[in-house]
Amino acid sequence: MKFSIFQESRLGARKINQDRVGYCYSRDALLMVVADGMGGHLNGELAAQIALQYLTELFRGEARMRLGDPARFLHHGLNDAHEAILDCVRTRNLPEAPRTTCVACVVQDGVATWAHVGDSRLYHVRDGKILSQTRDHSKVQWLVDTGQLREEAASRHPERNKVLNCLGGSRPPQVDLSHRNRLADGDALVLCTDGLWGALTPGMLASVLSRKTLRKRLPTLLDLAQARAGRGCDNLSVVAMSWTEPGATLVDTSTRTLELDEFAHESSAAARMRPKDRDASGDAGAPADTATHPIDRERAGAEANPGYLSDEEIERAIEEIRSAIRRRTPPGAR
Amino acid sequence: MPTQSNQPLPDGYKLLDYRIDSVLSCGGFSIVYLAYDVNDQPVAIKEYLPSHLVLRREGDVLPSIADDHVATFRYGLKCFFEEGRSLARLSHPNVVRVLNFFRANETVYLVMRYERGRTLQEHIQLRRGAISENFIRHVFAQLLNGLREVHTNRLLHLDIKPANIYVRNDGTPLLIDFGGARQTLAAEGDGPGKKMLKPMYTPGFAPPEQYRDRQRLGPWSDIYAVGATIHACLAGMAPQPADKRMQDDKYQPATRLWAGKYSRQLLETIDWCLELNHLQRPQSVFGLQKVLLRQREPMVRSPAGLLGAMQSRLLRFAGALGASSKA
Ligand SMILES: Nc1ncnc2c1ncn2[C@@H]1O[C@H](COP(=O)(O)OP(=O)(O)OP(=O)(O)O)[C@@H](O)[C@H]1O
Ligand SMILES: [Mg+2]
Repeated sequence: MKFSIFQESRLGARKINQDRVGYCYSRDALLMVVADGMGGHLNGELAAQIALQYLTELFRGEARMRLGDPARFLHHGLNDAHEAILDCVRTRNLPEAPRTTCVACVVQDGVATWAHVGDSRLYHVRDGKILSQTRDHSKVQWLVDTGQLREEAASRHPERNKVLNCLGGSRPPQVDLSHRNRLADGDALVLCTDGLWGALTPGMLASVLSRKTLRKRLPTLLDLAQARAGRGCDNLSVVAMSWTEPGATLVDTSTRTLELDEFAHESSAAARMRPKDRDASGDAGAPADTATHPIDRERAGAEANPGYLSDEEIERAIEEIRSAIRRRTPPGAR
Repeated sequence: MPTQSNQPLPDGYKLLDYRIDSVLSCGGFSIVYLAYDVNDQPVAIKEYLPSHLVLRREGDVLPSIADDHVATFRYGLKCFFEEGRSLARLSHPNVVRVLNFFRANETVYLVMRYERGRTLQEHIQLRRGAISENFIRHVFAQLLNGLREVHTNRLLHLDIKPANIYVRNDGTPLLIDFGGARQTLAAEGDGPGKKMLKPMYTPGFAPPEQYRDRQRLGPWSDIYAVGATIHACLAGMAPQPADKRMQDDKYQPATRLWAGKYSRQLLETIDWCLELNHLQRPQSVFGLQKVLLRQREPMVRSPAGLLGAMQSRLLRFAGALGASSKA
């Protein structure tokens, strides 16, 4: 299985990041998850975290190499993640259940299957066009569907944040499951929260998501969404992959070298976006593909550190380099 | 990939005599900008900003460093200096040219000549691995001139890979990113170096001796990475990482995988560079270059028994010299 994958979660203009994103793959199956913890509710990020963790752990448990039935996995996984949130409410005695949206996608045998609750989306992009996408479980989508609101007006509707279906809610979630979607070489799957899609037009999203540019352009796309959203910018998160047909040679990530029950994974740790905790998540396990791996990111305090450089030593080193450059560069040459 | 949360300097920012134009790349240890100097000439500026130690927030210029990271941050400066020192000593058309080095914003900056082109990694991605033999020979024959210069100066690159080879628009290659110098430092003695520095290696491209036995590092270590890089041009991906190969070698000889698609001579060269035992690889860049520079002559069969026999690698290589492709 060959694909290239990218994920990022940004704070936007908010104080905390309630989005969680992650992916996890074995030799034959890939899982991607995006969850958007709901703001008005207590600990939205807790719900998102539980959903992410629950699904990735279930995946690790079930997919020794491959999942028996991806659709079944997603259906049960999302329903059980809802239960896991309610369990947590009971064990921790929380006054109210935290809630989250969730979209998750499994790729196996060159077929993508996804499921969602709420308004986090999945786009299936081919040749710069959106082939299919999830339909939000939101108030505005319902208004649009029932002819009470024009599609173009949805993004300005005062209740555009209202989600009708979620994990952790008082009613069990209605898990919306996709068909089996066969992937073609170069296809992209993009899972994202409304912080991203809400700030962009569908055209903007689709146009940049061709394979060659995925990794390069996604950060730019996030920048663009942030710029467009300005001061009101919500948390914005994305996991995206582009697919390489077996036989095609380009890869960023090949699962071929993974042992039979080996997994690779990466998820946005709780604290990823909170500066004070950054170190804890600093090495959240780069995916198998990323280039340079520091072997050891152990931090060491000043006392363990006789190699401390003084200002004077720094100045001296710089002067040494500068004079080496001057000596080398013939006069007049740039 | 780990999320990059350090904010780059804003476009248009005046840094000493330079004007920042845009970000070229954001890495774990540094950010590279395109900037313009006082004569409006473009330069590439590399800013030391290890994202696991410092944070620069939106709208800030000075990064904030947690107290318990100050020492590590400063120690890491040494590695960045090492990169500057290496480059300042080198003056070669196939090695990126350093123009200036200075301190500002509580960190340090390395100014390089800006080169128009793209990395070999991007070439591989664009062509999806199907890089032609002519392109490979052309690029590597010249690149090895640069690497020879590095070795002549008693330096090792230690992070050769497609992402660190830049191909100018006119097709000439150059080595960039001498951040691998970090390693030479780490290897020195056991004092703080052992603790403070993260020996860096790139799985798939780093030879076994870079994982352990670091006293065995030598020109042959860069040569392994060159072999892996050529391999990546053909395969579109790195070969199995050397540490894994040491446990259970799944490496398939290039001579088997691409027989008939590339010249036998090129394929044998790849396999030769990728020998796990460092003594069995080409020991110097010069030997390697001779093969790549050689014209692809009409087919001359090497004696059949020679390749199969348990000859020394040198002999095997000599055999390879005689063999040639069906152009
Ligand atoms: N002199 C240059 N001219 C043009 N582009 C450059 C130049 N130097 C670097 N770049 C661009 O910046 C990218 C990153 O550079 P480099 O490999 O030196 O840093 P890095 O890999 O981020 O370093 P580190 O390993 O320290 O994080 C290159 O791939 C290239 O696209
Ligand atoms: Mg690099």
